Amino acid sequence: MTSDEPIRDPDALALEPDDLDGHTIDELSDYLDRDMTPPDPSIDGSAGCQIALDALERLREVSRAVLLADQAAPVPPDESWVTRVLLGIAVDARAGRDVPLTSTEPGAELAITEGAIRGLIRAAGDTVGGLLIGRVRLDGDVLVPGAPVRVTVDASVGWGQRIPDVVSRIRDAIHTQLLRHTELNVVAIDVNVHDIHVPEGFVRGVER
Amino acid sequence: MDDPVAPFLLEEADERTLAGRAADGDVRAFEVIVRRYGGLLRAHARRVLGASDQVDDAVQDTFITAWDQLPSLQDPAQVRSWLMRIASRKCIDRVRARREHADIDDYEPAESPESGPARVVEARSRADAAAAAISRLPPEQRRCWVLKELAGYSYDEIAADLELPVSTVRGLLSRARKNMIREMEEWR
Repeated sequence: MTSDEPIRDPDALALEPDDLDGHTIDELSDYLDRDMTPPDPSIDGSAGCQIALDALERLREVSRAVLLADQAAPVPPDESWVTRVLLGIAVDARAGRDVPLTSTEPGAELAITEGAIRGLIRAAGDTVGGLLIGRVRLDGDVLVPGAPVRVTVDASVGWGQRIPDVVSRIRDAIHTQLLRHTELNVVAIDVNVHDIHVPEGFVRGVER
Repeated sequence: MDDPVAPFLLEEADERTLAGRAADGDVRAFEVIVRRYGGLLRAHARRVLGASDQVDDAVQDTFITAWDQLPSLQDPAQVRSWLMRIASRKCIDRVRARREHADIDDYEPAESPESGPARVVEARSRADAAAAAISRLPPEQRRCWVLKELAGYSYDEIAADLELPVSTVRGLLSRARKNMIREMEEWR
């Protein structure tokens, strides 16, 4: 048999226009794609179309199941696979600009990269515990000593904590680290909590 | 007194946190992304490419491009579908390159044995049955169906990427849908 022949008994389910009151399986699939709006009475009133639509809908559900199963599959065949990917990425590309630091040694120039400052801020958040910092933004002219800089961080907070307390602890930790390692004039630290993380099996009855 | 704080590991972080950290240069966060989506992208690449020794290469290429483009990702909560699009593009590039060299498509084997049961009716779960049904589609049908239904492509996008007329894509998808429905109804 050639690969284009139907795989199984073609009469198992009626899917041709004759069976679908003149509609095609594509039209029905497109109808499903647009959430069956606006309603089409010639489809909604056709028994054949309704059977085919049900089958298409089940197919769509199963597609989602396939994606979830793929994602749950054991990931790389071996550790070296992950290592190879990580060796291939250009880590330096994220360093950003050099932010000047005052040097006590005459003639020596000191600087810390924007990437390193973001790393400091993430690390500060991680030491607080029970939360993870996401994206970090530095607004202001970091290259000009003394210029006001505003720090904005995204954060995901673990379940069971009072958000105002956590936010206050992160801000303190970030501020301390920035004072210790940089000369930035930090005028504000904004924390944007975008997710409450509920550990699997930690709390019953809480939907993520 | 606060309740004890549950440990919150990077491995459990949501997509937006991971994508944000990786965009800022956190390699550990990117490693979590690679582990979390590596299996999904390999399965996807295997479906688009067919049995091929290019699967690993395409997926590694996907992650390298993803790392470079993460800082400009508009919606970091959509990492999965964004990665699938990059992977689709990497695979299609390889399919096109193959086409230029020889018309291998006609006798391309459907799928490697590791990827699931060969017979749909023997599958244990619905997802396994669907995976087997997908693997039994002829290559062009399979490619179109996977791009449309799993990767979320539009008809026009599939046509542009595969360099086929939209009408051909519609025809292939129509046959793929009928084949998939029949296989899955039989499994039910």
